[in-house]
Parts: sequence; C-alpha cells; structure tokens
Amino acid sequence: MLPVVVVHGGAGHIPKERSEKSTEGVCSAVRAGYVVLKRGGSSMDAVVEAVTHLENNPAFNAGCGSVLNVKGEVEMDAIVMEGKTLGSGAVSAVRNIANPIQLTRLVMDKTSHACLTAEGASQFARSMGVPEVPMESLITEYARMRWRKNLVPDANPVECQMGKMGTVGAVAVDSEGNVACATSTGGMLNKMEGRVGDTPCIGSGGYADNQSGAVSTTGHGEAIMKVTLARLILFHMEQGQSAEAASDLGLAYMKSRVSALGGVVTVDPQGQWAARFSSHQMSWAAAQKDTLHYGLYVGEHFTQGIDEPLLQGI
Amino acid sequence: MSAVLVVHGGAWAIPDELAKASVDGVKTAACEGFAVLKRGGSALDAVEAAVRTLEDNAVFNSGHGAALNTDGEVELDAIIMDGRTLACGAVSSVQNIAHPVSLARAVMEKTSHVMLTGRGANLFAESIGITTVPTDTLVTEYERKEWEKQKTYVTGVMEDFNSQWAHDTVGAVAVDSAGNVACATSTGGIRNKMVGRVGDSPIIGSGGYADNSSGAVSCTGHGESILKVTLARLILSHVEQGKSVADASRLSLQHMGDRVQGAGGAIVVSPSREWAATFTTERMAWAAVEHDVLWYGLEPNEKLQEKIAQ
Repeated sequence: MLPVVVVHGGAGHIPKERSEKSTEGVCSAVRAGYVVLKRGGSSMDAVVEAVTHLENNPAFNAGCGSVLNVKGEVEMDAIVMEGKTLGSGAVSAVRNIANPIQLTRLVMDKTSHACLTAEGASQFARSMGVPEVPMESLITEYARMRWRKNLVPDANPVECQMGKMGTVGAVAVDSEGNVACATSTGGMLNKMEGRVGDTPCIGSGGYADNQSGAVSTTGHGEAIMKVTLARLILFHMEQGQSAEAASDLGLAYMKSRVSALGGVVTVDPQGQWAARFSSHQMSWAAAQKDTLHYGLYVGEHFTQGIDEPLLQGI
Repeated sequence: MSAVLVVHGGAWAIPDELAKASVDGVKTAACEGFAVLKRGGSALDAVEAAVRTLEDNAVFNSGHGAALNTDGEVELDAIIMDGRTLACGAVSSVQNIAHPVSLARAVMEKTSHVMLTGRGANLFAESIGITTVPTDTLVTEYERKEWEKQKTYVTGVMEDFNSQWAHDTVGAVAVDSAGNVACATSTGGIRNKMVGRVGDSPIIGSGGYADNSSGAVSCTGHGESILKVTLARLILSHVEQGKSVADASRLSLQHMGDRVQGAGGAIVVSPSREWAATFTTERMAWAAVEHDVLWYGLEPNEKLQEKIAQ
C-alpha cells in the first residue's frame, strides 16, 4: 500500500475548456510526487514537489495563476505539516515569490516559528536567498479578466470563486509510514488586501499526524475555518472511521452547519486514501502501486499505469 | 439559566513582582465581563469587554504592554468566535491598535472574511474609523528594557525559545443566559519574535474555538506547540466525546507536553455552565465569575473565592 501520494487542484465548478488542463496538471503533479517517494524520499519531500508543480502550472489558483485581490495584486497563503513530529510551517499574504510552498518548508526547518505573515514573510524569504519575482510573472490573463469582471458592485466573488479552480494540495505516506500534507493558494477572488483564508491555518487548510493521517482541503475558505475541516476529519479517523468515511462526514458537517461546499484529499498511515468533495467538481489524482488514479466529477475514477499517457477524461 | 465568564492573563512563569498585579488584573476583567452578562448582554459582548479590559492593562502582554518583535515594534494577534453560528473574526500582525479584539470582531461582523493580516488589517481598521495609536503608547518601560536586554545577548538566544517559556496572552470565554458560548484571545506574541511571526492566538482552533454544541476555549502558552496540537479544538473534541471540561483540558495539555514538549494553559466553559481553568506552566493568572461569586488563582491547584460586592 505504501508509498502513496494524492493531490487536488481545487474544488468548485471547472469550465469545460479548462477541465483538460486541470486533469493533466494534477496527473503530472502526482507523478512528480510519486517519483520522489519511489526514490526513497520522504512524504514531506513528495508533497512539496507535487505542490511546486501545481504552483508552477498557470491552470491553478496558486503560485503563477493565483487569483487577484481587490486591488489587482497577488497575495498567497500556504502550509506544510509533517506527521511524525507535528512540525509545521506556514506563510500568509506573501507576495512576489514563485513557490510559497517551498517558503513554508523553510519556515518549518529554519525558524522557531510556525507561521510568518505578509512583509515579515518576505523579509524571511530574502534572508534565505529566495529570489523575488515580479508580481506580473504570477498573473495570468485569465486571472486579470476575472478580477475585472468582479469589480462591478453586484458581483458575488464567493459564487464566482466556485467558477474557478481553487486551492491546490497534496498528502502522502512514505515507505516508513510517515504522513505529510501541503496546501497552497492565491486565495479568494477579489478578496480584501491582507485576507487570510483557511489554507495557512493549521487544522483548517491541512493537518498531518502519524497517529491518524493527513488531510489537505479546498473550497470556501471561511467555512473551512469555521469547522477546522482538516482536524475534524482526523478526529473522525481517530474514532475509527476510514479515510473516505471521515472525509464524507467532515464535508457533510460543513454543508449542514455552515452551508458551504469543499473538497479534500486524505490518507491514513497504512496508505488508505480518499479524494472526496461536496462541490460539483474537484480535479484530483493519486499514485499507488505504480497505478495512476484520477477524476474530476462525482463518482469518476479512472485508473491506468503510472507511466502511460492519459487515456480518459480529457 | 445563569451565566458564567472565565478569563486568563497568560500561562507562564509569572515573576513574583508581577503576581499581585496579574491576579488583580484578571479579577477586574472577569467582573467587567460578567457585568455585561448580568445586564443581559451576549457571551460575545462579554468576552470582548473582558479582553478589552485586559488589553488596557499594561501588566499583560496584549494591547498596552505588548511584547516587541526583533525590530522593536509591536505586532498584535487576536481572535473572537461566536459559538452560535461559528462566526469568527481574527487579525494577525496588526500594528498600533489599542484593542485588537474589537478589530477582530469588526472583521467578523463587517467583512465576508474571517482573518485579516498585516497592512491589510490596518487598512481595514482605518476604513472603519478605528484609530491607530503611536507605538510608544503601547510599549511599557518594562517591555522596552526586557527587549533591550535580550537584544544585547548573542543572537543565538533568539533561536533558543524554550518551549517551557510561555508568555502572557490574555483571553476570555463565556456562556450567557441563553446558552450561547463565545471566546476571545489577544496577544502581543513572544518577545523578540521575527517580524511577521503569527502565533496560535489568531488561528481558529488553536488560540480559541467556540461551538454551542460543545463549549468555548481560549488558550495560552507556547504558541508553536499550541498550533501543532490545535489545542482549543482538541479540548472540545474530548468534550464532544463525553469528557468533563476539566478532564478534557488536562488530557489535552498533557498530550501537548508528551507529544511536542510544550507547556500552556486553557480556560473552558460549556453550554451547561461547567467551567475549568487549567495549566501546565508554573503559573497562570485566571478568574471566573458564576452566581455572583468570584473565583481566582495563580498557582497550580489554587482556587480562591470571594463574594462580589453588589
């Protein structure tokens, strides 16, 4: 069953013309993570590698391709966590870096803190020699078009958010049974400057504990925070629920208690995994036993050899 | 049914010279918060009032009296949460605000977001007419001296935060006569922290959590450890499993000690008016009011009481 890696490219409603790119993107990211695991890399190395791929892919709302805040700027949130020590690193509202997920790992490894925000996160990035990139390099034409569209007074960014791929994330278990999670996002369309969503908040955007499993979440950030979705799912697993049942319970609770939709990828330390969502779609992919799994719509689950070219769903 | 309010002034090795002022401070804040409940105010109003009182008190590390970061500036974190709807507001790394808890409440009530950070939080404050105050009005002579003392140490000391060395975050939890619970937590964070460091206080599920179906918690202690175990949410998960609030707090703090070697404290109330103030640090200043009786303590297992003057 080990190793295994599962990624998501966000829950929501994905326009037809963009669904192919999303599926290709999550499959390519999960392969990259799986290569790391097969080489004997840790689950932490694997989730950071997979999420770096998703951040670099302009089809997703993270790194390059992030949505813009109300001022037309990119501010990004990210988190990593490893289940052996509960070590964790996060950044919120960080600007001008290509790969926030790699910065979160530096926060975890090189500081005594767990979260750095805004200008302080940038200062730390500079001190670590992380190159600053111009904001323009993170902004796609698509992101700018959607920002303009939502500047009109009666626009509903929450509604529209579901019209684009959300957050990206990954969970993995390595051959030693260590779990890890990583989540990265440009946040919510036309958000206020300085808005922090669920992603960098431990227990909301992600959580990893070798005693129960790892979760990365996506969906309406404010709602995910209210129910601390990642931690909630792992509480259910601690009570004996499977990764799939616990994910469904967590998402159903979020829907009934705060009327919101989302999606998650979940693993347990034995390598059981789940990709579940209450939204219309979520692009996801998993790699285990040299088999690639992927899907986009509810109930969709394609499988094929890990190295074969994508056969279906695109 | 009657209302209950509990406050804390931080779990850490409170030095003797601050002991009396800390206990007096939490007692005053608990009475202020309880007065709101007695007037028929909501749990949310009460925890905000109690925490504002603590923020105004220079003895505590929040609002006035906050700790300084490595640049010698004040950056504040706060959260407030309403257990009825799970609505929540938080600010992190906000500068020069006298009452971060009230700004957190404004985030909850006046925006579609839960959390604002850094300059964005300050811009929001400005836009709703919350005035900023000069840094010097928030910094006490004591804090400036402590900061300078540590500044002149070898820089290695900065990296050497002992997990046992917690700090004085403030917080409050309450249940009102309608059975609604709420929590609020506010802090200046740890001394000589990196610029932009966010601790547990503004993170939902770590620094605080409130849910009418289980209870409300406000946490204090080593922030990074509290984050790792999402302490507030962990305590309530034990309550959901049928534990008393006191057992749930003890179990969770013990888990934090065993798993990540962190010390801290928590105050909890349940919708059925159970309450607890628990800590694994040397001291925690806390106070609680129920049925016009004021309970308070500072040392482990200390539980003193006095009648509130009518």
